[in-house]
Amino acid sequence: MLTSLFLAVAEAHDAVAGASEPGLVEKFGIDWHYVLFQGISFLILFGVLYKFFIKPTTSAMEVRQQKIESGLKYAEDMKVQLAKAQQETAALIKTAQLDSNKIIEEARKTAKDFADKIQKEASERANDQFAKAQQAIELEHKKMLADARTEIARLVVTTTERVLAKKLTEADRASYNETAAKELTNV
Amino acid sequence: MAANKKAQQLARQLFKLSIVDGAISAERVSGVLGYIEKTQPAHQLTVLKSYHRFVAAELAKSQAIVEHAGAVSASILQTIAASMTKKYGRTITASTRANPKLLAGLRVRVGDDVYESSVSGQLGALAASV
Repeated sequence: MLTSLFLAVAEAHDAVAGASEPGLVEKFGIDWHYVLFQGISFLILFGVLYKFFIKPTTSAMEVRQQKIESGLKYAEDMKVQLAKAQQETAALIKTAQLDSNKIIEEARKTAKDFADKIQKEASERANDQFAKAQQAIELEHKKMLADARTEIARLVVTTTERVLAKKLTEADRASYNETAAKELTNV
Repeated sequence: MAANKKAQQLARQLFKLSIVDGAISAERVSGVLGYIEKTQPAHQLTVLKSYHRFVAAELAKSQAIVEHAGAVSASILQTIAASMTKKYGRTITASTRANPKLLAGLRVRVGDDVYESSVSGQLGALAASV
C-alpha cells in the first residue's frame, strides 16, 4: 500500500512538473458521500464496541483495581498490625522473661534460705543430741561411781561387822551398852 | 465397806472405854471382851481385830522394847524406862530383846518411835554417808 502511495505521489509530482493535470481528490477518486458513510459506520461500530466490550472491560478493570488496592491496603494494615503484634509480643516476652528471672531469683533465694534453715536446724539438733549424750554419759558415769562407792561401803561395813562380831568381847559390848544407854537417856 | 467402818467405830469406842487415867485397864479390857462375847455384835471378828490393834498400839506406847547385843544390866533398863517416862509424860516400862545384829549397843522402840545407839547403826550411817 505504501508502495502504491509512493507511486501515486511520484506520478502526481510528474504531472505537476509537466502541465495542468486533474486535482488530487479527483486523482484518488474520493467521494465525500462514501467518506461520510464510513465515518457514521465507524461511529456506530465504536459505539457498539464501547457499550459491549470497552465499558465492561474498563469496569471490570476498575473493580479489579479496587480489589487490588483494598487487598494491598489490607496487606499494609496487616503488616502494620503484624509489626505491632510483634512489638507487643516482644514486649510481653521481655516482661515474661523479666518476671521469670525474678521468680527464678526468688525461688533460688527461697531455696537457699530453706536450705540454710534446714542446715541450721539439723546443726542445732545435732548439738542438742550431742549435749544430751554427754549429759547421759556424765550421769551414767556419776551413777557408776555412786554404785561403786555404795558397793565398796557395803563391803567395808559387812567386813567390819564380821570382824567386830568375832572380835568384840562381852565386856566390850557391856561397856558399849552403858555408853549407849547414857546417850539414849540424854536424847 | 460401810459395815467395816461401823465395826471400826465400835472398836474405837470400846477402846476408849478401856482407858483409865491415860492407861489401859485390865479390868476394863476384860469387861469389854465380856460385853462382846455376850452381845455378839455384827461383824464380831472385825470388831475384835480392830480392838486388839488399838490396845496393842496403846500398850506399845507405854512399853519400851530395848533391843541389845551383849549384856544389859537392870540399872540400865531402869534408867531407860525413867528417861522415856519423863520424855513421853506417861509410865513406860522397859523390856529386853536380844538382837545380835546390833553387834554392840542398844535400840529402844516406844510405839512407832525408834532410838538407836549401836555399832551396826553407826556402820549403816557410815555406809549411807559415803
